[in-house]
Amino acid sequence: PVGIQTGVVLFWFKMKVSRILWLLCKKSGVRTQTVCTGVSTNQQHKQLSSTSAVYRYSTTSSISHCTALIYRKHGDPAQVVQSESMNLPNVGAKCVLVKILAAPINPSDINMIQGTYAILPDLPAVGGNEGVAQVLEVGSQVKALKPGDWVIPRDAGLGTWRTAAVLAEEDVISLPNDIPLLSAATLGVNPCTALRMLTDFEDLKPGDTVIQNAANSAVGQAVIQIAAAKGIQTINVVRDRPDFTTLIDRLKAMGASHVIKEETLRRPELKELFKSCPRPKLALNGVGGKSATELLRHVQVGGSIVTYGGMAKQPITVPVSALIFKNIKVQGFWVTQWKRNHSQDEGALRSMLDELCSLICQGKLTAPACSEVGLQDFGTALDKAMQPFTSAKQVLVM
Amino acid sequence: MVVFSRPVRLKEVRLGWTGLPPHPSVLAERTHPYCRLYCSASVIMRRSLFKLSREIVPSVGQGERRTPLGPGTLRQLHSCSALVYRQHGHHHDTVRMEEMSLAALGQHSVRLRMLAAPVNPADINMLQGTYPILPRLPAVGGNEGLGEVIEVGTAVTSLRPGDWAIPWDAGFGTWRTEAVCEAGDLLRIPRDMPLLGAATIGVNPCTAYRMLHDFVTLTPGATVIQNGANSAVGQAVIQIAAALGVKTINVIRDRPYRRELEEELKSMGADLVITEEELQGLSLENVIQGLQKPVLGLNCVGGQSGGLVLSSLCEGGTLVTYGGMAKKPLHIPAKALIFRNITLQGFWMTQWKRNNSQDMSRLQAMVTSVCGLMKSGQLRSPQCVQVPFHKYSRALYATTQSHQRKHVLIM
Repeated sequence: PVGIQTGVVLFWFKMKVSRILWLLCKKSGVRTQTVCTGVSTNQQHKQLSSTSAVYRYSTTSSISHCTALIYRKHGDPAQVVQSESMNLPNVGAKCVLVKILAAPINPSDINMIQGTYAILPDLPAVGGNEGVAQVLEVGSQVKALKPGDWVIPRDAGLGTWRTAAVLAEEDVISLPNDIPLLSAATLGVNPCTALRMLTDFEDLKPGDTVIQNAANSAVGQAVIQIAAAKGIQTINVVRDRPDFTTLIDRLKAMGASHVIKEETLRRPELKELFKSCPRPKLALNGVGGKSATELLRHVQVGGSIVTYGGMAKQPITVPVSALIFKNIKVQGFWVTQWKRNHSQDEGALRSMLDELCSLICQGKLTAPACSEVGLQDFGTALDKAMQPFTSAKQVLVM
Repeated sequence: MVVFSRPVRLKEVRLGWTGLPPHPSVLAERTHPYCRLYCSASVIMRRSLFKLSREIVPSVGQGERRTPLGPGTLRQLHSCSALVYRQHGHHHDTVRMEEMSLAALGQHSVRLRMLAAPVNPADINMLQGTYPILPRLPAVGGNEGLGEVIEVGTAVTSLRPGDWAIPWDAGFGTWRTEAVCEAGDLLRIPRDMPLLGAATIGVNPCTAYRMLHDFVTLTPGATVIQNGANSAVGQAVIQIAAALGVKTINVIRDRPYRRELEEELKSMGADLVITEEELQGLSLENVIQGLQKPVLGLNCVGGQSGGLVLSSLCEGGTLVTYGGMAKKPLHIPAKALIFRNITLQGFWMTQWKRNNSQDMSRLQAMVTSVCGLMKSGQLRSPQCVQVPFHKYSRALYATTQSHQRKHVLIM
């Protein structure tokens, strides 16, 4: 309720400001392009963001160039990432001109800039591997897309931290444009990772249990919600923090069965927990180090532990007895590799996105807590994204 | 055969709640002095003297233990010498040669004369109490060995007297001179096999066989990398892989006679033999020298050695762990799992056998294949040290030490 009131006031101011801008632009001769204004008149988003910013769909931009966050060498993002104006090529026959609406900052994006990621683009490169864009123009041979469609990248390395781009039709895949903007912007990497890990490694039935660390991450929150939608219980391990009880409430509201601290994993009280739910068949590890070893201890005989991240930057310690006598499989998952392995299979990515969008429409999958930042404030956003205990995903909104 | 000057009669023995007779020193109290020399380990004494009629007490580890029918003299048909331990701990303190009574032959039972039984690291772990499956105590040690069938029950069709057989499950207790068990507990072994090969076939060569078949499809020319290459499993891997046309990179600990060992392993079919230090120091291209990048890694050491084998695998490779001789866990970098898509699994022969025990033909097929390799000369048993049964403590000690050959007890 408070958000809506503030939103209405801001909306009024915005109307005034954009009118003034329009007048200025008209005077200066720059082409303008208003698409839509405000919140209530457009079905493109159904909820206000938590920070009550008003989405700015009306942009004054030409289609011959865009603003992009570029880095010309690898290093500390605060040093090497610059905002630059970039020329856009003409829209080729099989290409589309898109306007990026929002693009999150993920840890892998930071790693790419730092040069520590497994795949690195040729430099200079635009940062960002994920985001949602709206199609403005299509080339003459483009079949599946039309202006107004929303698209997300099919692969990593596209460079989404920019205001507009000309992309090959085969490099993007469409999404319904009536899902919340932040959900669309954060759909391609983390929820996909969560869905694949819950599907591809163990045959999980309703009532089965999954245990995971980094439960408050974007992947963790997606795991909670997708698992809950499938009737799978989740034991969610998070680091201790001052507002721990608030965190428990928030995760349980999403469908988490249990939320426990890292320290609790080592305590005998855990046995109480396993009286109410079966031992997990599957453990999901985004942290590594001791946290992962503790998860492993609780996995059922014949279960698996799947690693998708290494936030603690420490190797996973696996006792030999877990492999030999408990028959636990230790594997990894990389959504980029999955997408590349299935790039020839038209239906694979499509059906995964359809399943996720269906959950979104049912209200069972919401975007993680986000903090929206304008493109011009990218420096602040990058800094915050690199802080520990970031409770909100930084999302650049163009 | 020993001839005594006067008839010898054993003290009638009161069997305690364990169902086992007391220590041989007690047993020999009222016997001829010469007899005491043989009391603790004599096959001859067992055959010639224990023809007393006593109530049956099932031997240890063979199914339900029947309680003796009240105090007083009990009757038995046969007994044996066995290495018994009554508590877990260091083998020196806990393992003793004892006389044990054997169950009477049931319809589905078989009486075996044990010929040879190796001492494996897992057997020592069981004595120590550190193995995940432990028999009820008191127990007879040894999980693997070769026996000759002496007598079969009336309903037994799978085995005949004179056949060779090995127990298929762990916990049999093979360190003994005779045993009575169910026919279903045994797998038949062809008699034209070398004795030591047959005695050591059930655990290690079968482990090697399964690991080379069950995890990755290995085509001729594919490469497998393993540590502990000089172990019984390691040598079996070298030979079975060579028979399949699969190349092996074999990692061993450095030692003074390293070159001789390298020659020995290469004569078995090893393609490359390198030390742990070399694996750590050299780049992978220099290590594999023109072979394909390994798609399968076999690890029985753990710790740093396991990590080195893992880092040598190609993308999408699998590391199978079947032992942990260094008693250290594996440290796996997240990048190996996420970006190089390495899978880690374990293999436990005992579990595989138990999972497949519903269909004994699978077990028999595996043993038959491995026996076939042995008969054709493609698979030789590792060089063993044969130890007379009564000198068992030498064999147990050696198995706890490094750089020892496999010790096999000969009954």
